[in-house]
Amino acid sequence: MRKAIMLLALAGIGVMLIYAVGEMPPMGDSGNPDKTHVAPRYLEHGEEEAGASNVVTAVRLNYRGYDTMGEVAVIFCALCAVVAVLGREKTGLSRTHMDVSRVKASVVVRTTVRFLVPVIIFFAIYIILHGEETPGGGFQGGAIIGASIILFTLAFGLPESTRKIPLKSRVPLESFAVIAFLAAGFTGILFGANFLTYIMPGLSEHAAETIRQVMMMVIEIGIGFAGGIIFTSIMFAMIREDKYELQPDSS
Amino acid sequence: MDWTLNLLLLTLLLATAIAVIRIRDLLAAAIVFSAYSLVMAILWTQLRAPDLALTEAAVGAGVTTVLFIITIYRTVRKED
Repeated sequence: MRKAIMLLALAGIGVMLIYAVGEMPPMGDSGNPDKTHVAPRYLEHGEEEAGASNVVTAVRLNYRGYDTMGEVAVIFCALCAVVAVLGREKTGLSRTHMDVSRVKASVVVRTTVRFLVPVIIFFAIYIILHGEETPGGGFQGGAIIGASIILFTLAFGLPESTRKIPLKSRVPLESFAVIAFLAAGFTGILFGANFLTYIMPGLSEHAAETIRQVMMMVIEIGIGFAGGIIFTSIMFAMIREDKYELQPDSS
Repeated sequence: MDWTLNLLLLTLLLATAIAVIRIRDLLAAAIVFSAYSLVMAILWTQLRAPDLALTEAAVGAGVTTVLFIITIYRTVRKED
């Protein structure tokens, strides 16, 4: 009986959903509202209003700046939750099962990783800094940085990684994305414009342009490096194992 | 030309998505899920969203797979 009611309800919702999809404008049709109002506006005025020649970046940082700020806050909250539950690793003292086992990553893996990681980080920095003109930007580059550090940790173990990127240097970076975004937002208010406005009123064109460039760069770099470091910290917190922890030297 | 490739990719996407739910071995499911992300990344480029494709490939196929495997390693591998 219960099952029958459940099935009936599910079927009803399914029919309604399919009916609603049928009512939607066809995908990619040039007569859709987003093609007649939103897209032309972004394409025609994006560069002067938002100041980025890549329209996606213009939308991401300017038209929907709040959205991006929320996203950055979300990954920061994810890190806070993981650290609150699992705790932090201790630099050079935290180990994993991988580090104590006698089976190490093979020479081939270690050598490949040693050559690949710098190239991957270089590529990530290119994506972060070039986000204004080409696809990509802070978040994408940050994810790639995080992935490269995770790759390094898998090949060389947690002690080596935490020695290279100690907790001390990560903590201030983790919150940098949110702080950079808020700072850029409040700069707009300081100049008498709205929150998250990049083009300041009452300045010469040249000065406004310079300020806008600097602000977008700071936000992109902030999201990029903080994002990468946040992924790294989450991974470090998850992979460390208390039972293999070394005791600090008491001498 | 796009049509056949997209059909192939969408079929693969459906197959991997169903496989992720059906497989009892969580480690295998994590790997299949990473394959799903990779197919999705190619589909994003087909839909002309290279920004999303970059994120999907780095986060979906890379970082989350590692996090899943760490979690499986520290809990249990088989689903009951």
